[in-house]
Amino acid sequence: MEIMSHDIIIIGAGMAGLRAAIAAAQFSKEVDVAVISKVYPVRSHSVCAQGGTGAVLKDGDSFDLHAWDTVKGSDFLADQDVVELFVRRAPQEIVALDHWGCPWSRTEDGKINQRRFGGHSFPRACFAADMTGFHEMHVLDGKAKTFDNVKFYDEWFVVSLLVNETAVAGLTAIDMKSGEMYALRAKAVVMATGGHERIYEFTTFSHTATGDGMTIAYRAGVPLKDMEFVQFHPTGLVPPGVLITEGARGEGGYLLNSKGERFMKRYAPERMELAPRDIIARAEMTEILEGRGLEGPYGHYLALDIRHLGEEKINERLPLIRDVAIKLGGIDPVKEPIPIRPAAHYSMGGINASIKAETSISGLYAVGECACMSLHGANRLGTNSTADCLVFGAIGGQEAAKHALSESLRELPKEQILTSEKRVFDTILGSEGDERVAAIRDEMRTIMNDNVWIFRTGDGLKSALKGIRELRERFGKVTVEDKSKQFNTGLIGALQLDFTLDLAEVTITSALARTESRGAHFRKDYSKRDDENWTKHTLAYCTKEGPKLEYAPVTITKWPPTARTY
Amino acid sequence: MTSKVEKVVEFKIHRFSPENKKRYVSTHSVPIRKGMTLLDALMYIKDNSDETLAFRSSCRMGVCGSCGILVDKEPMLACYTQVLQLNSDSLVIEPLPNMKIIKDLVIDIQPFMDTYNRIKPILIKSEEALKEPNAFVQVTADLKKYWDLSLCIKCSICYSACPAAIDEKFLGPSTYATNYRFITDSRDEGTEERLKAMADNLWLCTSCNSCTMFCPKEVDSSTSIVDERSLIVETGGIPRTVRDVLTSVTRYHNPMGMHPSKRMEWAKDLEVKAFPTIKDADILCFMGCTAAFDPRSQTIAKSMISVFNRLGVNFATLGTEEWCCGDHILRLGEKGLFEMLAEHNLSTFEKFNTQRILTLSPHCYNTFKHDPPYSEKNLNVQHYTQFLAEAIETGRLKPSKTINNRLTYHDPCFLGKRNEIYDSPRQILKAIDGLELVEMKRTRESSFCCGGGAGRTWTEEAVPEKRPSVHRVKEALELNVDMIATACPFCVTTLEDAVKVLDVEEKIEIKDVLELLDEAT
Ligand SMILES: Cc1cc2nc3c(=O)[nH]c(=O)nc-3n(C[C@H](O)[C@H](O)[C@H](O)COP(=O)(O)OP(=O)(O)OC[C@H]3O[C@@H](n4cnc5c(N)ncnc54)[C@H](O)[C@@H]3O)c2cc1C
Ligand code: SF4
Ligand code: SF4
Ligand code: FES
Repeated sequence: MEIMSHDIIIIGAGMAGLRAAIAAAQFSKEVDVAVISKVYPVRSHSVCAQGGTGAVLKDGDSFDLHAWDTVKGSDFLADQDVVELFVRRAPQEIVALDHWGCPWSRTEDGKINQRRFGGHSFPRACFAADMTGFHEMHVLDGKAKTFDNVKFYDEWFVVSLLVNETAVAGLTAIDMKSGEMYALRAKAVVMATGGHERIYEFTTFSHTATGDGMTIAYRAGVPLKDMEFVQFHPTGLVPPGVLITEGARGEGGYLLNSKGERFMKRYAPERMELAPRDIIARAEMTEILEGRGLEGPYGHYLALDIRHLGEEKINERLPLIRDVAIKLGGIDPVKEPIPIRPAAHYSMGGINASIKAETSISGLYAVGECACMSLHGANRLGTNSTADCLVFGAIGGQEAAKHALSESLRELPKEQILTSEKRVFDTILGSEGDERVAAIRDEMRTIMNDNVWIFRTGDGLKSALKGIRELRERFGKVTVEDKSKQFNTGLIGALQLDFTLDLAEVTITSALARTESRGAHFRKDYSKRDDENWTKHTLAYCTKEGPKLEYAPVTITKWPPTARTY
Repeated sequence: MTSKVEKVVEFKIHRFSPENKKRYVSTHSVPIRKGMTLLDALMYIKDNSDETLAFRSSCRMGVCGSCGILVDKEPMLACYTQVLQLNSDSLVIEPLPNMKIIKDLVIDIQPFMDTYNRIKPILIKSEEALKEPNAFVQVTADLKKYWDLSLCIKCSICYSACPAAIDEKFLGPSTYATNYRFITDSRDEGTEERLKAMADNLWLCTSCNSCTMFCPKEVDSSTSIVDERSLIVETGGIPRTVRDVLTSVTRYHNPMGMHPSKRMEWAKDLEVKAFPTIKDADILCFMGCTAAFDPRSQTIAKSMISVFNRLGVNFATLGTEEWCCGDHILRLGEKGLFEMLAEHNLSTFEKFNTQRILTLSPHCYNTFKHDPPYSEKNLNVQHYTQFLAEAIETGRLKPSKTINNRLTYHDPCFLGKRNEIYDSPRQILKAIDGLELVEMKRTRESSFCCGGGAGRTWTEEAVPEKRPSVHRVKEALELNVDMIATACPFCVTTLEDAVKVLDVEEKIEIKDVLELLDEAT
């Protein structure tokens, strides 16, 4: 097998990965950086981010206020030292993106404009119309490509990490175009592989959000933290799950049930449709469970009605939403209400990482949505995720560069390379069982949607865990029909399924253990927050018997837990 | 819970297996439900019918640019197209053209992505400016200037449809658009450097408009290129071939550099009425410079006269007072010169008391229709194919002779893509007995440019295999036709050159629709 070497390899070319690459390349011309991504960088999920990126820029706002909003939003599970660092670093990221060319929307005097966003008590969401992530990504991609010391491996699929004792030595990856597997050596590896929302059936995320890096790190021995916390967004378009931005409600859209009632009056009489995401998502589920959902060809749903805004205003303020509803939902919101229901939207949990993005393996860093430095705790605020990718992407890139400059390459563990090769080509591609990837994948998603959704119960979670373990068994008998090498998307699908099955198991195990309700994690059988027993982070370790759970304390600097009311 | 199946659509997918280099077509029936996109249908096929099918996708919301495919020859994003809206029971799915196929619908987009490395796709600023701790100031009016161009998702659809992109010297439509997006960004300080990256290659664009027409994000690359050319023209950094054309037009009001007094020589044996002797006629025929000066095109012009005479049309030309319409000049970026030509022609139209104009060339037609100052006058203008198709339909003109020929029709971009005149020329051909009209693979909206637009007829320097015309003639040859008919003097010239280059003069002939009609009446 051919072996390539770099000082730093960044896995993932989304917002976090590209930001890390830029930071590492800028840190020193001497470091040789590689970026590996299973899709071309601008195809990464990050281009989907719409609403904005949060940062303190204006008088009247303050770091403490942004931090407090974040901590409160997190339902007091965020590590407050991380939050404080984050809010201080976010503004310079906005300026950097501006200097590289991001087309920020502007105020009348030509300054960067900021808008309101759920859970933030000050308008601090910087935005580029309703395509914020898209523009940020294209600028980051352009910037990363200006460096001679950054090399891109586009459409390379990472399969495993290679670890020499307690330090990272490299990784194995498949060049999708040729189908060949390679080992790559590095002094430092930065994991930036994004979220795992595709363990669910109904999600706002790209098809590629399969959490690969979380599983790869988990299998290499790094614990996954707080995986029970998955955010659900109240308005996923039915049937595709594509996000209908909060802006539609911000502009005055109503949420209606089958009786035509604005049902939010029962759940948040003051804030109505503009209450926090988790509250609306739970309200929607209650309406559906109590029989007041609308019944459509793709299951129960609720209606997001913006017709009363009129065609003119819709065209002016919500052009993308109209376009998306027509092109993807087959309905015109000027004439019909938009069918919506809650959709899996963000993974608060991820690879356990320190405030400097370090993990428990020396030389392995994790940034972006796949990482968990405990910035978002039990519930992320809108706009904090892209900011997280930028701030900690930059920190992770720099730390990796420092590390690479002081370390030398480690010997590659040959047997790990062989194991990886055998697993892919013999065990998975060579298998001749009678199970199908698509069937297992869909069943996994159904289980997660049915039992690990917005309302959870001990019994439901137990049955889900049993179901996922059966699927894991069946995965052993899966056959990939396509036996060829080049661009074998069937094989990639099988490998992604393999990764997501582990993540489903970890998510359920962590959720089952947490006998309280906090942020996005809501247990019907334990419907109160339990600060005394549960102000702590879940850490899931990979063992042969499945995930083993441990717990770690939450760092509290200024803000002791109080009731979270809006 | 599943929804009602609205109908079953047959998908015929063009496949390519890299293992044994085999091409084949696989057919799949897909039950279509309301809301299903083409991407959903492809995923359905992969999950239920053929797991080996390869295609790309990611965001499934039209922003990541992964999923461009050809559907019945038209490029589109699979994830952003509702199957039911295509109104068809059977669809042919192919990978995007112009790029190597890796497998099935997956093409090698690396060459496309690499074009961005030849420009700088971020702001160019001085070191000093970048030290500034605050964001730069930019008012909304300035943001709006480049906003539309910043919406490109790098899907490569434009590149796949671009005739100029077969030459790797060319950057690709979206790359020029991106470069221009930064030129028009008030924060950018790199115009000079940006123009340099394009100075010797953007002349390959033929202004065929395919890029703009097919862009799923309505990015107007085609116009960006013209605007960039204007900037280069202003700085004077234009290639010799282009400069020669512009000099000729400035001096002689035609790109060939012929003395204007010779403009009517082609008609010296014909009795053609012309301004200023004649100041009024039912129809003003705007002949165009090629018809006036290029020997090959003159025969088309003569056909026009003889058909019009037979029809008994009361027509005249502007004689030596006709100046170049300026279409090519405008697309080459010489806006000032274009305006001068337009002013002259418009004032002559007025002196002539023009009620109705017919053009021989689609280029004159196009500029009269769409480009100010012409367009502001709402001229009553038709291309000759429209006029003659009407004459045939109303029975005023009856082609009587048989011409036994198997032929294909090449859509001129300035008639088809830019003006949606696809049927008139075909109606004329169909009215002629003995002609068997077969269509090329790429036809009508998805037609492939001959490579002659935007002055490229005169500036062509590419080696044969990189000329669009050569590709086009080869495509026609696949049909075993012995003739390509078209309705544009530039297409005739460029395609004929390609026939010579390919050395297939024995096999295939290029004719204008007018010539065939003349022969048949
Ligand atoms: C519709 C929508 C709207 C959103 N809007 C906002 C918003 O307005 N504001 C906000 O702050 N957040 C928003 N978010 C959240 C935010 O977009 C994401 O959290 C963030 O973009 C994640 O970025 P990332 O860099 O961590 O990962 P991603 O962008 O997902 O990138 C992951 C990268 O890893 C690569 N990769 C993965 N696995 C492998 C592998 N095995 N081998 C090689 N490469 C691999 C991928 O190719 C990709 O390049 C939104 C999310 C959605 C779904
Ligand atoms: S106008 Fe035609 S030739 Fe010019 S860039 Fe667009 S597609 Fe290419
Ligand atoms: S300009 Fe349009 S067609 Fe071309 S790559 Fe960009 S989005 Fe695609
Ligand atoms: S899948 Fe992203 S544009 Fe179609």
